[in-house]
Amino acid sequence: MSLVAEAFVSQIAAAEPWPENATLYQQLKGEQILLSDNAASLAVQAFLQMCNLPIKVVCRANAEYMSPSGKVPFIHVGNQVVSELGPIVQFVKAKGHSLSDGLDEVQKAEMKAYMELVNNMLLTAELYLQWCDEATVGEITHARYGSPYPWPLNHILAYQKQWEIKRKMKAIGWGKKTLDQVLEDVDQCCQALSQRLGTQPYFFNKQPTELDALVFGHLYTILTTQLTNDELSEKVKNYSNLLAFCRRIEQHYFEDRGKDRLS
Amino acid sequence: MLLGGPPRRSPRSGTSPKGPQSSTGHVHFGKSPQTWPRRTRPRSPGLAAPSGVRGSTQPKRRDFPRRAWLTALSRYGARLWMGRRPSLPEARGPAPRSAAASRASRSLASPETSPSPLPATTRGAVAGGGSVQGRAGAQKEVFPGQGAGKMAAPMELFCWSGGWGLPSVDLDSLAVLTYARFTGAPLKVHKISNPWRSPSGTLPALRTSHGEVISVPHKIITHLRKEKYNADYDLSARQGADTLAFMSLLEEKLLPVLVHTFWIDTKNYVEVTRKWYAEAMPFPLNFFLPGRMQRQYMERLQLLSGEHRPEDEEELEKELYREARECLTLLSQSLGTQKFFFGDAPASLDAFVFSYLALLLQAKLPNGKLQAHLRGLHNLCAYCTHILSLYFPWDGAEVPPPRHTPAGPETEEEPYGRRNQILSVLAGLAAMVGYALLSGIVSIQRATPARAPSTQALGMAEEDEEE
Repeated sequence: MSLVAEAFVSQIAAAEPWPENATLYQQLKGEQILLSDNAASLAVQAFLQMCNLPIKVVCRANAEYMSPSGKVPFIHVGNQVVSELGPIVQFVKAKGHSLSDGLDEVQKAEMKAYMELVNNMLLTAELYLQWCDEATVGEITHARYGSPYPWPLNHILAYQKQWEIKRKMKAIGWGKKTLDQVLEDVDQCCQALSQRLGTQPYFFNKQPTELDALVFGHLYTILTTQLTNDELSEKVKNYSNLLAFCRRIEQHYFEDRGKDRLS
Repeated sequence: MLLGGPPRRSPRSGTSPKGPQSSTGHVHFGKSPQTWPRRTRPRSPGLAAPSGVRGSTQPKRRDFPRRAWLTALSRYGARLWMGRRPSLPEARGPAPRSAAASRASRSLASPETSPSPLPATTRGAVAGGGSVQGRAGAQKEVFPGQGAGKMAAPMELFCWSGGWGLPSVDLDSLAVLTYARFTGAPLKVHKISNPWRSPSGTLPALRTSHGEVISVPHKIITHLRKEKYNADYDLSARQGADTLAFMSLLEEKLLPVLVHTFWIDTKNYVEVTRKWYAEAMPFPLNFFLPGRMQRQYMERLQLLSGEHRPEDEEELEKELYREARECLTLLSQSLGTQKFFFGDAPASLDAFVFSYLALLLQAKLPNGKLQAHLRGLHNLCAYCTHILSLYFPWDGAEVPPPRHTPAGPETEEEPYGRRNQILSVLAGLAAMVGYALLSGIVSIQRATPARAPSTQALGMAEEDEEE
């Protein structure tokens, strides 16, 4: 959004309180949604839970096309539609709820940097695994991605998306990587996260922030998704403090509220 | 050119706390030292005294007498270089030596630039740094200290040549070069402006001592780390994690904008970037290569920022620049008042941050919105100039002379070019005269001058005949 439009939207956003009927749109949970999208959606849900804002999750087959930026998830609040975690965090901040207000400047810088790390490494690794690893693509991704559509559309859309992702991988230099190298990158990323987390309950000690939501979204999804091979989740399982972290957030923010959205 | 680091020569040192085994607390980037089964002989660390002659071909086998000579030499070198620690060569205690080694491996890479004795120990001590592992290896049979010793040929780095007051105008080349300077890696640097002359076809490229060619910057740095030129050796685990995070931040937020500023923004591209590349590259590459590079960068940027419709381009641009400004502010806040990001010694993160910032600061861009913002962040500017003056004094200090380096190939080519011009004119003339003679338009009669007019008439008659 341009600066002017953004200021305008912030004004409007600030004017209204969070409505009760806010909805989050994602793809169909059982048949269609993929690992990376599920992770992103879970991150947003976790973030909103941490802010204590009610949200209803609605699954639609064409969520990707409904979204203003082409990425899921997106939330529909009042008469605004905002997609992706970054803009959603800003939007929520404009409404007066923020998790990172208590951080000083250096910590905010660190938080942003770690969020970029997760996006850069974990998300890209997930995309790679889903779309560039032939075994996974053939068995899982193609079938899931095109499932709501009739033949031949399902094949066409799946191939189109795959081609697009492969181009992007090549542009960022991941095109030549083998699966082992990608897994090693995931390991490095998890190691970095684990070291940053240390023995604290959350990344910035007592209070969770959007970084915690993002990390939880990705790690939980990786741990609980069944893929052709379990190497990805094995890499995460190597770090016990990350496992404890996921468990803690799941218990505190999802099970305790009585609404189990992590089926 | 340098005398061997003293620590190298001692095969009997105690366990070094900084050896591979103690690295559990440290973040490993790439393979851990334990996985390098470089050494076949347990006694090598003393032999790794090729340290002194880094980069030269070292015979793998060392004889005893030579070892004695080398140890004597290194002892002398120890006194010379480790002024403050004369007992070092004799010291068995790993702590002082490893401390010195680690300190030195962290500290300034170029002894010529720093007046203090400490950096002067760098050369010896970087070798020392390597030998620390070597020594530890002597104990535990692992040995990368052999690294320098094993180098059959020096590593060669091909990178873009310098300009705008910088040692190199390309982001990746600058980052790799800075890292090499930080760690004192003995690289033979070839500054070229013709990417086709590099072994891999792209710049930067590293030709390792084993002949293989690496051209991805991160892999180059990983390789240097493997060869024991590790600037992140002393970082704590947490700092290592921070390094990864900040590098991701740079890549996501700052890189697209940098690419946009230099290659996509029309005014900047035409007046600064393309001009430099076209002047630096030899004929005939300068006609099509800058354009091709621009198209590659544009495609990369488009893929990175996702699809967008043309009318959104301005919005996208504003968004990109806003994020970049935020990123710069974050960097400034992280740096604070420190000299480098992790204390007093440069690490790999500093190399990358420096390369981004230096390019932004030094190039004289007509459209310099980000530059203006960066100039407002004084600690980042001071950081850049500090590194430039410390590690690249001959490149960075004078702005006009570096101009001569791109001009160098030009001036060499100019007389060459002039000669080409004269030759081509002569060739043209000769061709015309030859054609005229052969086709009979003009014919030369070596008869008496009185015949000249009739020759003329004859020539014209022939012409009429032809027609």
